[in-house]
Amino acid sequence: MRKLFAALLAVVMLFSMVSIAVAEEEPITVTVFRGDPGDQPTSDNKIYKLIEEEFGIKFEIEFLAGDLDETLGTKLIGEDYPDLFDGGNSAEKLINAGALIDLLPYITEEGTPNLYNHIKDIKDDLVDEEGKLYIIPNYGINYNAQIQNYCNGPAFFIQKQVLAWDNYPQIKTLDQYFDLIERFVAANPTDKNGAAYEGFAILCEGWRHFCLINPVQHLMGQVNEGEVFIDRETAAVETFINKDYAKPYYKKLNEMFNKGLISRDTFVMNYDQYIAKLSSGTVVGMFDQTWDFGSATAALETANMYENTFIALPLVYDEHYGFGVIEEQYLNGAVPNKDRGFGISVNCEYPERMINLFENLLSDRWQIILQWGIEGEDYYVENGRMLMTEEQYKNRQDATWKMANMATAIWESAPKKQGTMDDGNAWDPANQGEIYFNLMNEYDKQFLAAYNYQKPADFFNAPCEIAPWGEAWQIDKSPIQDDYDDFLLIQDQWLPKIIMSATEEEFNANWDAFVAEIAPSAAVHDAHMQAEVLKLVNK
Amino acid sequence: MKTIWEQKWLMLMSVPMLLYVLLFNYYPMWGWRYAFQNLDLNNFKQGADWVGLENFQWLFGRDDFLMSIRNTLAMSVINLVFGTLSSILLAILLNEVRTRAFKRTVQTVTYLPHFLSMVIVVGMAQNMFSSNGVVNSLLLSLGIVDQPVFWLGEGKYFWWLVGIINVWKEVGWNSIIYISTMTSIDPTLYEAAAIDGAGRFKRILHVTLPGIKSTFVVLLIMNIGHLMEAGFELQYLLGNPQVYDNSRTIDVFVMEYGVSNGKFGRAIAAGMFKSCVAIVLLFAANFIAKKLDEDTLI
Repeated sequence: MRKLFAALLAVVMLFSMVSIAVAEEEPITVTVFRGDPGDQPTSDNKIYKLIEEEFGIKFEIEFLAGDLDETLGTKLIGEDYPDLFDGGNSAEKLINAGALIDLLPYITEEGTPNLYNHIKDIKDDLVDEEGKLYIIPNYGINYNAQIQNYCNGPAFFIQKQVLAWDNYPQIKTLDQYFDLIERFVAANPTDKNGAAYEGFAILCEGWRHFCLINPVQHLMGQVNEGEVFIDRETAAVETFINKDYAKPYYKKLNEMFNKGLISRDTFVMNYDQYIAKLSSGTVVGMFDQTWDFGSATAALETANMYENTFIALPLVYDEHYGFGVIEEQYLNGAVPNKDRGFGISVNCEYPERMINLFENLLSDRWQIILQWGIEGEDYYVENGRMLMTEEQYKNRQDATWKMANMATAIWESAPKKQGTMDDGNAWDPANQGEIYFNLMNEYDKQFLAAYNYQKPADFFNAPCEIAPWGEAWQIDKSPIQDDYDDFLLIQDQWLPKIIMSATEEEFNANWDAFVAEIAPSAAVHDAHMQAEVLKLVNK
Repeated sequence: MKTIWEQKWLMLMSVPMLLYVLLFNYYPMWGWRYAFQNLDLNNFKQGADWVGLENFQWLFGRDDFLMSIRNTLAMSVINLVFGTLSSILLAILLNEVRTRAFKRTVQTVTYLPHFLSMVIVVGMAQNMFSSNGVVNSLLLSLGIVDQPVFWLGEGKYFWWLVGIINVWKEVGWNSIIYISTMTSIDPTLYEAAAIDGAGRFKRILHVTLPGIKSTFVVLLIMNIGHLMEAGFELQYLLGNPQVYDNSRTIDVFVMEYGVSNGKFGRAIAAGMFKSCVAIVLLFAANFIAKKLDEDTLI
């Protein structure tokens, strides 16, 4: 026993001496925090192995478990920072706390041409007031043409079978939409299993209450700016929820509620219940953003209920509402995802190597490895077009396969190329035209054919140019946190009450009470948003 | 000194417990200093500024914080009264049951919900109390109401829903301690009472109830110390903006306006307030119990 122990000790000693000896070329282990939950990659993950071979860098990744703000709070108070720090949707906290280093001094035209060119055009928008850049956006920087096959953002949704039932009409306005829902539910009170259809669902839970409070701006023909309406010419900002042009939408919902097409349970359900409802195929329509109910779509497709999946429609107010003829503008140009992604923490001992890593990973060769994989294994090339077999593409959706074969955790937070390669292939395989169309299910192909469309995005006008302020929902509200909380809470409390009004008088009384109560916090909100938008315009 | 030396092993054995208490109960109190600082994660710097009582002023200047105190106390009292009564009742009923198999089965069935996660319990409650849930269907078919009741969306029902859910979840678990106390009551007392002509009901009244009195008082004192803790998960999960005025407890308020917003100073100030009230309540209950010449805890 003792001998064995001595031998073991000797081996350990030997190893530690060896590792000191090669400390010059040292392979390093980099600690990483991701502000999202995720799957730990397997130890023999092929992409991480390549990174280790080429750069001598291994990752020790911690994923978010629990509440993001709480986790970040603990890390900040303890100054327990990983080397690569992704603060998810609360990254401002890291920046304000001084946990991250300024990256600009490391980014030069000669030393790091890839990174330099990556942010060259938008540098002014990305830096803060002191001209410092802490995080290179993880998404939203496009090369060549941007590709949008479908609307991933906000829209009114309706089950495809409803449009098919009405012989594929063009639904462009609010009234057409609710009229169709009303007629459909009247003709088909229950689905084939006998479950009652619910005309329109509104998710109101937590931060996902945008399903309740955001639609008005789109009905007025604006892209998603969050809770404000912004004049594109003058950059004048105003909160829209308490304006006269918001009232008709909630009046319409109120009518639908009193016709029984909106259930009052919709105002108390949580996200899981919402997804369960959508997945059951009994919800006819809703306002939401495509990414927000991806799991419901996946569940419906797995159950072969393709006719119950949703199609996005860009609705606007009808002319009779008195706002003129409104041209829809739901799709926006690419928005650099400002302050989202990896920052390098002040505790990191080798910032140069981290920058170098990002620089190299941003090269075309590595971008293809990260996004497409290894040629011959994960994709193939035919006549210069990069393609995937059905199996190769299915693999990419398989969480277990990804853990061993893709560097998802690093790739998602690192700077990346999106849009189109110089040779015309898409950077993201999911955007590659052939792959998108070949893998579309038969129902969707036939559905689009009925409309004579090639892709779901054909229902929409082309994306517009991105405004100088990006999308205003990204603006940090933490300086007016208390008022902003009130502002949102008043909407959360009043809008359902307004929609559930039993009579016209009650509706008007509720609406007036709401407008009066929200006035103070809306004024603070207006002033803050106006100042921030102007700052971005004048940069 | 000599005694200390003689008891050195006992002392040594208590060290881990002492460390545990110091580390996890007393050391965190050092964090109370943040209640007097403007510790804000949105604008974080090490060593925040001292702001005196600003956090407390902010808290007590808000109607919804005062409302959360009211809700906390209301739901606590409801939980305490219904929880205690229901568990004593269940214990007495089970104590009177002669069939062992039946008694065991009921006991197991009633305490199993204790082990369910609150998330699951709330999910079940939301289904049962929804517009077309079991409860509304039952009420409709019995003709008690002619419209489904909006249980989850109207504030006036919230406290009672919480009370019912808590009773359902905890009644079996809470009755265990009473049942065990009842089994330790000397059977000769029952026999003597029976000989004196006491029926079953009289025996419960004059033997069983006095037998559990001291347990009842000890538990009551402990529970009064916890009056400020009406719960967090249940209210947080079951609440929604429609019922916030009745659903937010202090803990939920702390979560939403302190922790989630990164305003830790306020969160700690609220927590500190809660602890102080709890200490006062505990001593008050203990004092009253002493006056009543009962067993006291402290």
